[in-house]
Amino acid sequence: MHDGIHVEKAGLPSATICTDRFIPTARGMAKMWGAEDYPTIFTEHPIENLDRSQLRERAEGLATEVVTILTGS
Amino acid sequence: MTSSNETTAAAWDDVFSAVEALYDLGWTDGLPILPPTTDKVAEFLAAGGRDGAEIVGELPERRREITAEKVAANAVMAGCKPEYMPVVLAAAEAMLAPPFNLVGPSSSMGGAAVLVIVNGPVVQELGINSRNNLFGPGNRANSTIGRAIRLILMNACAAIPGLYDRSVIGHPGKFSYCIAEAETETHWTPLHMERGFSAGQSAVTVFASEAPRQVRSVGRPEAILYAIADVASSLGTSLSTSGSVGDPAAGIRQGETVVTIAGNSGLWRDWTKAGVKEFLHSRIRRSVADFKRAQVFPGDVEPGDEERMVPLTASPEDILVVFAGGEESNMSSVIPSWGPKVGSTSVTREVRR
Repeated sequence: MHDGIHVEKAGLPSATICTDRFIPTARGMAKMWGAEDYPTIFTEHPIENLDRSQLRERAEGLATEVVTILTGS
Repeated sequence: MTSSNETTAAAWDDVFSAVEALYDLGWTDGLPILPPTTDKVAEFLAAGGRDGAEIVGELPERRREITAEKVAANAVMAGCKPEYMPVVLAAAEAMLAPPFNLVGPSSSMGGAAVLVIVNGPVVQELGINSRNNLFGPGNRANSTIGRAIRLILMNACAAIPGLYDRSVIGHPGKFSYCIAEAETETHWTPLHMERGFSAGQSAVTVFASEAPRQVRSVGRPEAILYAIADVASSLGTSLSTSGSVGDPAAGIRQGETVVTIAGNSGLWRDWTKAGVKEFLHSRIRRSVADFKRAQVFPGDVEPGDEERMVPLTASPEDILVVFAGGEESNMSSVIPSWGPKVGSTSVTREVRR
């Protein structure tokens, strides 16, 4: 969240993906940095135990949302 | 969000209502704390020789500047004596130094606490325990200095459980985790002198770490070190897990390890700390086969994997040996770091008085 918000503040579009167990932490960080409206993609927790193909599948499911945030369309 | 320079004023009729009000304010670690009255905070600042507005350190990721006043207020709340302030200030400065990377160990699922190791004349002057019940209760200096650090983390650094502190398990050292080295009772070079300070200086070393694992091996030095190395080579520590951070060539998160050794220093008369570190460094390791069985490394166990060993520390200097613990027995403890050194490195700072 911290890095995504700062990349965005530096003028580079960013899309941050966060697992849903961390929603309060992510919202708190955004508020702390005055970026309460910073768009964040939440995905089901956890991801650390996914193997390569499962992770790819998860990423493909989020790709459209990432593009939408990055292009603003 | 409360910035570090904002203060909250309140008044109470008696001590019990004050304690309850401090709970309501969310300033406690779950145990009762003392009210940080204006007079007490001023007394502690004077004892620490600091102006309240002085910046002790910064936590930029959480937009926090930690003032001496915040350190003093939390030291009062923890039950410290005013004369403990220089130690609390040095520990706060150390954990806010960039190499410690406080945002990591204070937020991670890994559940680290900040171990505070005190060296130098201040140990005797303040009565900081280095012997019996080393990590246990019963000594005011150890209990309250360690607790002050946790309260600073929670109240001034926003390491709030469940919000920015996402420890999955954590450990009891997160309430208080402060020890001293029994440096006057050993021929070994004290930790702070290994790190460039003189015998006349006092210093504090902070170490983001797991809980101590007690090692009950009390025979010959080599036998004790063999057991210590076995415990320090366990699967499931922060160091013997996959290397998503740190040196990619290692495959695991090589980090630092604190080893405390108790008892009678005479047992170790033929050993230096450097010798102990060399012995342990070459034995704190695990086979590729074990790492594969535990899914730390991918793939199936192949011929040769049982013999191929991976060290859990990159260098003997990453093992911090501290002579401490009761005189009753030559027992020891092993404390793995929270993660690799790139994530957090132990830091030593002088106690300024």
